[in-house]
Amino acid sequence: MSTISKRTALATAVSALALAGMAHAQSKAEPYRIGALLSVTGGLAVAGQPEREGVLLAQKVINARGGINGKLLDIQLEDDGSNPDSAVSKANALLHTQKVIAIIGPSAIAQTVAIGGTTQSLKVPLLAFTGLGPPVERERTCVMHMTPSQELNARAMLSYARDKGYKKVGVLHDSGYGQVIWNSMKTLGGEYGIDFAQVEKYELSTNDATTQAAKVKAASPDAVLVLGTSPAPFRNIRQLKMTQPVIATHASSTYENVKAMGEGADNIIHAEFLVAEDPLPQQKEFVEAFQKEYGKLPKNFAAAGWDSVMVLAAALKDVGPTPTGDKLCAAVRRVHQGAMTRFDFTQPDMGGFTIGGYTYSKLSAGRYSRLDYKAGGAAK
Amino acid sequence: MSMGLLQQAVLSGITNGFVYALIGIGLAVIFKGSRIINAMQGEFAVVGALITVFAMQAARMPYPLAIVAGVAVGALSGVLVDVLFVRPMTRRGASEESFLLLTIGLAFTMSAGALYFGGRDSHMLPGFGGQGVLEILQATLPVHAAWLMLAATAVVIGLRLFYTRTLLGLAMSAAASDPDGATSTGIDVGRMRMLTFVLGGGVGAIAGVLVTPLISMNYQMGIGLTLKGFAAAILGGLTNPLGALFGGLALGLLESLAVVGFPSGYRDVVALSLLVVIMIVMPNGLLGRAGRSGG
Repeated sequence: MSTISKRTALATAVSALALAGMAHAQSKAEPYRIGALLSVTGGLAVAGQPEREGVLLAQKVINARGGINGKLLDIQLEDDGSNPDSAVSKANALLHTQKVIAIIGPSAIAQTVAIGGTTQSLKVPLLAFTGLGPPVERERTCVMHMTPSQELNARAMLSYARDKGYKKVGVLHDSGYGQVIWNSMKTLGGEYGIDFAQVEKYELSTNDATTQAAKVKAASPDAVLVLGTSPAPFRNIRQLKMTQPVIATHASSTYENVKAMGEGADNIIHAEFLVAEDPLPQQKEFVEAFQKEYGKLPKNFAAAGWDSVMVLAAALKDVGPTPTGDKLCAAVRRVHQGAMTRFDFTQPDMGGFTIGGYTYSKLSAGRYSRLDYKAGGAAK
Repeated sequence: MSMGLLQQAVLSGITNGFVYALIGIGLAVIFKGSRIINAMQGEFAVVGALITVFAMQAARMPYPLAIVAGVAVGALSGVLVDVLFVRPMTRRGASEESFLLLTIGLAFTMSAGALYFGGRDSHMLPGFGGQGVLEILQATLPVHAAWLMLAATAVVIGLRLFYTRTLLGLAMSAAASDPDGATSTGIDVGRMRMLTFVLGGGVGAIAGVLVTPLISMNYQMGIGLTLKGFAAAILGGLTNPLGALFGGLALGLLESLAVVGFPSGYRDVVALSLLVVIMIVMPNGLLGRAGRSGG
């Protein structure tokens, strides 16, 4: 063989070996690529930020354990800026450019409805941090709901009010999230034997709802239901020296809100899921990991973020290293005991929330404690 | 509608009115001294409040000293705005619209800066006189709100005396009204404009310190405060701090009484519709043409 031929042969062999090695390394390291589309900025950041923390923590924990089926999780985070239009374009990028096999999020119902049709048609599981919304969502069997519907939120609050004997309640709700809950709640008064004595609305971004709270006070209710995410009405209720208990949803139960409520963070009952100061057994692992990672206690949205990744991980484990859309969608539709609650994605609402799944807390002087109360029992 | 509810609405309206007025006063100060509409006035309030919070929490300063630090940083922010942006743009002959665009851009920038350095959390400051409430007739008023009203009134009186009774105040007014004339009398127009921004930044920071115990403060509240303060300042005639006070009170009372008289969802519609009527009837503001030009 000539010198040139020898050199050529050697170069070819070396190249082939190098390519084979690269291919092997690549196939071994090929992670599960998952999209996370969250409202990290904008008006919904109060939910999106903790969801992000929960998602990233779960990814870290799973990858530290060696991943799933020998493959790591690679979560591609996108921020929709609390904007449905942005959510659509970001979702398309995740689906068609990043080629993700599932999407975690979004943080709000408008975004979920906007992108759900696309993910459904592509058979890409969507684990949304929203409750079941408009009727079209019942047909989207690949869109899972990691938070309860607003009707269930309403029932959870009314159950507590009924069981505590509050017959006459005042309602303060904001013009966004609270309005949606009120739209469900206003038809349920008769079923729970509750009279809505006074209902007042305040703007979503308001700094003050004193006059609205004063109108509620003037109706002398037994309790006040606050439907919204702003700390303002809680402050105003206390400034008016109203002594009635306040019942609120999990959306207003965040430590940031507690800080902003000031002295208003007192005598408030939240129908929520996670009381990190006194976690349920199935919540302890998450609470401890979260506190270790971030140096603070988690609340409901963070737990939902964590659970979304854990649900996907369990589904991927069953499906194997090369999941197809149909198989992954079917595998996600399972029962899953999460840190937030017990999910049942086989149910028609693709979430399986029940009123018994709520955990009730009492906020007293800025500190949460878990109440020994379960909704759905006999009236007390 | 009970008398107690009406009394509460009036007190709440006055309290909110003073909150808006404090921002409006700063807007009026800067417009009076520079003819610039400062869309970042609310951000001065955010800066002043957050610096006070961190001075207390991180540097463990006593509350009064922390307030001084907050106001000083607010005033310094005004200096930086003038030196770094307004002065160069003035030299280049920038128009009023350009300055408005500048302050809008700076508003977003400062908000982003507040987010970066201060985080997302809302912050509270201790109320003057504690967290208690006063019972006035059949209504309640937070103790701090009473102090806020007194402080805001003192600021307005102080500014009025400053602009009418001190050489410096008169010089600042003259420099804004007629820069060439002022220069010919030996007034350093550039220095007067810088002092205007010092004063505007300081007043904005004072506003932030005063409102935070009532409404808390976070990085994204500046723009909302500016909008309400702007309405107050316009109602009052834009160059008159006293006018901004009346404008703020008018706006606060309109909003509060609208909730009492109408379903609360129509609050903004009613209040802003009445504002439109007021501006049509009194286009120079509540204090009229004399108030618009006065100090």
